[in-house]
Amino acid sequence: MSVFGGLLSGFQIVLQPANFLYCFIGVFIGTLIGVLPGIGPIGAMSILLPTTFGVSPVSAIIMLAGIYYGAMYGGSTTSILVNIPGESASVVTCLDGYQMARNGRAGPALGISALGSFIGGTFSIVALMFLANPLANVALKFGPPEYFSLMCLCLTILIYLAKGSVLKAIVMGLFGLLLSTVGLDLTTGKPRFAYGSATLYDGIGMVPLVMGLFGISEVFTNLEGPLERVIFKSKLKNLFPNLDDWKRSAGPITRGSILGFLLGILPGGGAITSSFVSYTVEKKVSKHPEEFGKGAIEGVAGPETANNAAAGGAFVPLLVLGIPPNAVMAVLLGALIIQGVAPGPTLINDHPDIFWGVIASMYVGNIMLLALNLPLIGMWVKVLKVPYGILMPLILLFCLIGSYSLGNNIYDVVIMVIFGIVGYILNKFEYEVAPLVLAFILGPIMETAFRRSLIMSDGAFSIFWTRPISAASLIIAALLFASTGLALYRKTKPMITE
Amino acid sequence: MKEKYGIVPGLFWIGLSIYAMIGSYPLGLGDFRDPGAGLMPFLIGALLFLTSLPLVLKSIVAVKKRISEKAESGKINFTKIVSVAVSLFLYCFFLQKLGYLAATTLLLLFLFKTASSRKWRFVIIASVLTSVVSYLGFTFLGLRFPRGILGI
Repeated sequence: MSVFGGLLSGFQIVLQPANFLYCFIGVFIGTLIGVLPGIGPIGAMSILLPTTFGVSPVSAIIMLAGIYYGAMYGGSTTSILVNIPGESASVVTCLDGYQMARNGRAGPALGISALGSFIGGTFSIVALMFLANPLANVALKFGPPEYFSLMCLCLTILIYLAKGSVLKAIVMGLFGLLLSTVGLDLTTGKPRFAYGSATLYDGIGMVPLVMGLFGISEVFTNLEGPLERVIFKSKLKNLFPNLDDWKRSAGPITRGSILGFLLGILPGGGAITSSFVSYTVEKKVSKHPEEFGKGAIEGVAGPETANNAAAGGAFVPLLVLGIPPNAVMAVLLGALIIQGVAPGPTLINDHPDIFWGVIASMYVGNIMLLALNLPLIGMWVKVLKVPYGILMPLILLFCLIGSYSLGNNIYDVVIMVIFGIVGYILNKFEYEVAPLVLAFILGPIMETAFRRSLIMSDGAFSIFWTRPISAASLIIAALLFASTGLALYRKTKPMITE
Repeated sequence: MKEKYGIVPGLFWIGLSIYAMIGSYPLGLGDFRDPGAGLMPFLIGALLFLTSLPLVLKSIVAVKKRISEKAESGKINFTKIVSVAVSLFLYCFFLQKLGYLAATTLLLLFLFKTASSRKWRFVIIASVLTSVVSYLGFTFLGLRFPRGILGI
């Protein structure tokens, strides 16, 4: 199927009333959770995952994908108006977006953020469309060793980019892998760490784990501080940026689109990294770097474009290789597997409806988001005023129902609450849970690839470095580990010698 | 979290890694030509052990050097967090017995009252309304909730 033929069939799928509605629900909820601090796209996706079990796989993925890129749009609203990022990819938008609001330019800040997001999002869909087929043809040649090594690289990069201690991130990755081994061994059928529990025989559910780590633990964290927030009072007028704003934003939007897409493809990268990198680049290339942090529109346009372009880019490794580059995509992978769809190089041919349906839905979704985020911005500002004291019980209730609805099993709810507490404690000790989730979801695939590789090679580990792609992936992973180890050694050496 | 407590997770990881290694051994490690069910958890356990050691050492060094004396910025209301966590466990316990409507209304009464300083009238109306609307909405979507002693 040609690219345009595929896209046409994708539009036919997404414009069916049911899929159109799911796309709208996805982007609407995405914007909503982006606007509301306290719950991120991963939490929202896992809460809503059980509601997609009864619908077709394409509708389910269209909705879940919509939540992800919708959250990228909505996240900027709180950054600009409240100085609280709605989700982590909008952290950097606070720096200049809030200052613009303080200077009475909240309208142009919100406007350029929505328009930049639209341009970045659309660019990444076009790039995804043209890159997917050639990449899938290359990926068809991948065997278990290549997959194992690529997944190792994916985890390594995520650990390398961890905010805090790399050692802690490695521990999180290993903890995730260990949790993924609970349940029946797929090859031998032996139960592992199940202790006779029927619930654990099936393994720890992805949805209770993710809901606990992201939904429940976020609620616990929010309970620490005051539950009310102050919204900066600024009249929202002239949402469309003026000519000067456009002149200043054209470069950042172009660079943000390209940079965001490329960083989104990379394992471990994604929206958060791309927004920070874009901000740094814009500050470096700017003729007036001193304006950054004081309300420079470039500081809003670049990062907001980049995080949306990255959201689109992240679909490339997921849909083409079946390897999620970040925790959000890992949840989407889990959703696809639950629906009985195995993403990978054969997805385009085996399930063209899903592949092209999702791509077309992203075009439609981006237009919907533009409408939701520009003319309806006033509505989101009102949503911001809903006190967290009212939202918190509702978030918890949705988590409880979502987890219970998986299999009408109360133990799934217990597991979710336990992981909520675990997530909160890990957060207190400054452990990042993203590597845990990615490792947990990749774990079974990695283990199967690892064991198959060893069976293929008759027990010889050389299979991992005699095949070029596998070897290259492992070399890059090793170099990253070496550089991290070196940095860690330099940092701790004086402490130990003293 | 204060650095002096940093040793706790480190020790936990070491304990967990040893437990994983011991627990995976009876599953059969096999050999590299034919890996057994216990091989992967054993290898992960071993790697976890090796990674946790420097974490513990780092915490010991940090405590000895007393670089941890920085006070926590602001007090955390742990009572609220613990009470919400306990209420969620109690909800799991009573859901089957009391049924969805009764258990959910009780939980929401507690959560609304804990999270906001609103009057009881608001809390009661919000809790009952949310329980009923969620019950009707999710039942419409095909979800079946436990009926409990009240039969609803």
